[in-house]
Amino acid sequence: MLSCRSLVYMVGDFSLNGFSLELKKGDYCALLGPSGSGKTVILELIAGLRSLKKGSVVINGVDYTHTPPQQRPVGILFQDYALFPHMTVYENIAWPLKIRKIHKAEMVESVAGLAEELDIARLLERMPGSLSGGEKQRVALARTLVIHPLVLLLDEPLSALDAPLRDSSIALLGKLSKKGITILHVTHDPFEISSLANRSIFIGPGF
Amino acid sequence: MHQTKNYTAIRLIFLFLSGLMLLFIVAPLLGLFFSTSVPSLFESLQDRQVTSSIGLTLCVSALFTLLAGIFALPLAYLIARKDFRGKTIVQGLIDIPIVLPHSAAGIAVLGFISRDSTLGRFADLLGFNLVGSPFAIGIAMAFVSVPFLINAARDGFLAVPERLEQAARSLGASPFKVFRHISLPLARHSVITGLVMMFARGMSEFGAVVIVAYHPMTTPVLIFDRFNSYGLDYARPVAVLFIIICIVVFIALRLLGKKKNGG
Repeated sequence: MLSCRSLVYMVGDFSLNGFSLELKKGDYCALLGPSGSGKTVILELIAGLRSLKKGSVVINGVDYTHTPPQQRPVGILFQDYALFPHMTVYENIAWPLKIRKIHKAEMVESVAGLAEELDIARLLERMPGSLSGGEKQRVALARTLVIHPLVLLLDEPLSALDAPLRDSSIALLGKLSKKGITILHVTHDPFEISSLANRSIFIGPGF
Repeated sequence: MHQTKNYTAIRLIFLFLSGLMLLFIVAPLLGLFFSTSVPSLFESLQDRQVTSSIGLTLCVSALFTLLAGIFALPLAYLIARKDFRGKTIVQGLIDIPIVLPHSAAGIAVLGFISRDSTLGRFADLLGFNLVGSPFAIGIAMAFVSVPFLINAARDGFLAVPERLEQAARSLGASPFKVFRHISLPLARHSVITGLVMMFARGMSEFGAVVIVAYHPMTTPVLIFDRFNSYGLDYARPVAVLFIIICIVVFIALRLLGKKKNGG
């Protein structure tokens, strides 16, 4: 499903030397490692936001190594959620469909369905600045899921949440995983997702 | 106690110096307004030479501000987002028109559009003489004022978190869509400020414009012409009228910018 082969990348003092990863469809993989070990860089390489020096990224048998990010079947949830501050929650979630010129009725239906599923229907008219951390995370997740990615990359999605919100987010991610999406979850806390991940990979600094 | 006394003294000194500074800006303008009679203002308003020069000045400055925006915004974005060899030189080049004497800027623009230049020869072939045309006025205005737009827009784009652009790319947007839907709307306040500054600076330009086109007369050139030919009393009403129009346009554009930004 997701195959990263011998990824090599260098920026400043940081280098990634031959990182490899094989995930099957529906795998929930925890990518563990301390700060500065390059976990986020790996996600950005898979998403195409950084260019590889060497190696390949193959998804479902298709080589996406040199494909621009907008053409990869990958969704990424950033640590700071990266919601567009000038758009309402509805506009944020609908935006990926809008730029794909999806028909309005279909767009409204998709957004409403996801909003219902992620329990954010009441937030649709709000601006991102007025949301709590947990609400922002759900909105960002909805915005990513609306494009039906084959692979979902999560960058420390639970680190900014307090304990009760963290539990509900873990439940939500578990629900997503059961749907068969392949998930790569970056975290520095191995206990955080022990109930979710069926695989774990540890990377050290300058792996 | 001693500290409080010191603080009050410093505050008084600062207030005094600030007051003098504001007076320095306001006094000449107030003097100009008070020494101009209302009938002479109305007379100027009915003077076709004055109204057509104001129309020409506003239209040319607005048109060339918008035209410059097509080129200036991509340049500002590139400078904000990309690291490339010679970037410091490019940034320095952009600021050159600000530090040039404006008459020298006019000479430079004249060399660019005169009949001896490639552009001038090409226009000549088509039957146009660029020197002394509204085109020459627009080029001179844009040359001295475009750094304001580029610098303001660059600062605006720099303030947009790159993370949002990366998120947009990962959600399926091409670089152009990211620019149009994310970067530009988020930098709009700075971009509008830059456009207003460029427009305002362009329409008030005298030194560069008078070298490339004495006729048709822009209002700053007309004010100079009236002063030179007939004296202060004839130049004053036109100057007051133009200042009023500049202030009204400036306030209107700023308000429009604020409204578009949601206050």
